[in-house]
Amino acid sequence: MFKRIMVTVAAALLALPVFAQNTEDLEQRLKALQEKVAAVDEMKKEIDVLTQEIETLKSGALTTGTTQKAASEPGPGVSIGGYGEFRYNNPEHGEPTADMLRGVLYAGYKFNERVHFNSELEVEHGSTERAGSVSLEFAQLDFLVRPEFNVRGGVLLMPVGIINEQHEPTTYLASRRPLVEDVIIPTTWSEIGAGVFGDVGRFSYRTYVTTGMDSTRFDSEEGIHEGKQSGSEAGASDLAIVARADFHPFEGTLFGASVYSGGSGQAAAFKGRVRLAEVHADSKFRGVSLRALVARGSVGDAAQIDEQNGLTGDESIGKTFGGWYGEAGYDVLQRGTMSLTPYARYERLDTQRSVPLGFERNPENNRRIWTFGVAFKPISQTVVKIDWEKARRDNQWNVALGYIF
Amino acid sequence: MTREQALSAAFPNAKPARQTFFLNKQQLDAARKESGVDFSEQLVIRYAGPNGFAYFDTHRVRTLPETVMIVVTPDGKVDRVEILSFDEPTDYFPKRRWLDQLLHRHLDDDLSLKKAIRPISGASLTGQAIVNATRKVLALHHVIR
Repeated sequence: MFKRIMVTVAAALLALPVFAQNTEDLEQRLKALQEKVAAVDEMKKEIDVLTQEIETLKSGALTTGTTQKAASEPGPGVSIGGYGEFRYNNPEHGEPTADMLRGVLYAGYKFNERVHFNSELEVEHGSTERAGSVSLEFAQLDFLVRPEFNVRGGVLLMPVGIINEQHEPTTYLASRRPLVEDVIIPTTWSEIGAGVFGDVGRFSYRTYVTTGMDSTRFDSEEGIHEGKQSGSEAGASDLAIVARADFHPFEGTLFGASVYSGGSGQAAAFKGRVRLAEVHADSKFRGVSLRALVARGSVGDAAQIDEQNGLTGDESIGKTFGGWYGEAGYDVLQRGTMSLTPYARYERLDTQRSVPLGFERNPENNRRIWTFGVAFKPISQTVVKIDWEKARRDNQWNVALGYIF
Repeated sequence: MTREQALSAAFPNAKPARQTFFLNKQQLDAARKESGVDFSEQLVIRYAGPNGFAYFDTHRVRTLPETVMIVVTPDGKVDRVEILSFDEPTDYFPKRRWLDQLLHRHLDDDLSLKKAIRPISGASLTGQAIVNATRKVLALHHVIR
């Protein structure tokens, strides 16, 4: 028994240094572990700070942190954008042409949340050294009061029809804008003026007082198209009033109408009142695009304008004029960002529905045009359109390339 | 609207917990595939409230950024969409009734301007940007939940 006890005590004594050594080792390892945990905690805090910084940077410092600016405060003031289109035309009877139809740079500035400036500077036909021109398509100051009532002034896009205010190549189907929204409703039509606009429930409205048109540039083929003054040393002896209302029964669909009335004589001895009215509908849903418009107009003192412009016989301007069109397309690519939209458009217009006594109508100005084509958008901001136009005068192939940013 | 104001509106009388996730390559690829939106951020931050999760997304509309808050229910449906900042012209700002089309939608083919979401007349880039942000947030929510 004594021997067994002695052996146990001896073994314990021999093991003591090892035990002490293990304890010391464990303490060191524990300490190292505690340091690592502290370092991890510190790293977690640093990561948290970094993620908050990243979050702030990602949201542009507009909406985050204690030093944030509220979105109702002025953000970056300058806004830029642009759009443009190139087109190749190949008529059956005539020479093919290619044109940089327009390159447009948009610039806007938010002075504050209530006062905004918007403008578009347009270069048409590539170069002013050849057939091109440079013009301000619009340049307007908006004074935002409340959604139902706001004030606008400057060189204004006339709120008539669909294309005049939304004319980017990605927003309409064919390679050419509808001729109805070119010679019956002059597009792009801008005038110097001022007015009010706003939204009331599902209705939106705009009404302006502007400079009237200039009858010295009316003709039989293009009607009142060239009479737009575009804010270029515009005659202001005769003014005009334009009003528009749209009803939005649901998103993506609108029904609307507009009326315009204004003198075009300017310094002449006659008024030359131009009256124009149109109704329109536009709808996009589940890949289907539908659009229709009917427009009618008249020009007072048409005989005097003919005399002023030296027009005789069937060259007379239309005493009344009008037209309509309908178009439809369907995006056959229902998934992804690309779209491929076959479309068809039919339009009928006449710039001389009636002419003054003593003049004749030219049947060439009574036009019917079918357009069949396809629009391909690799991304929603670019489009390639190929179409075939069948008209009484001539048929032609068109290829267009457009972009917006 | 600031982020705090948006969160207060989404989760009244509650203090949502900020949560941070770091996506691995597989999760990022899965979110990109599910959403159909091309993005590369692997850091996801969300705010967990009593009945949903608020995600913030900043993206380009035309040339300028927009920040939106999208609140997602635990089962992956859109519960709320708020625009916190918008620097493009006011004409491109979407109306509340357009945003409301996104409510109660989950991530499927119908969540598209070609399907159930009607486009914004004259502001297609805004509509596309917000739909893309919504698809991206729903895909991220699915990947990390």
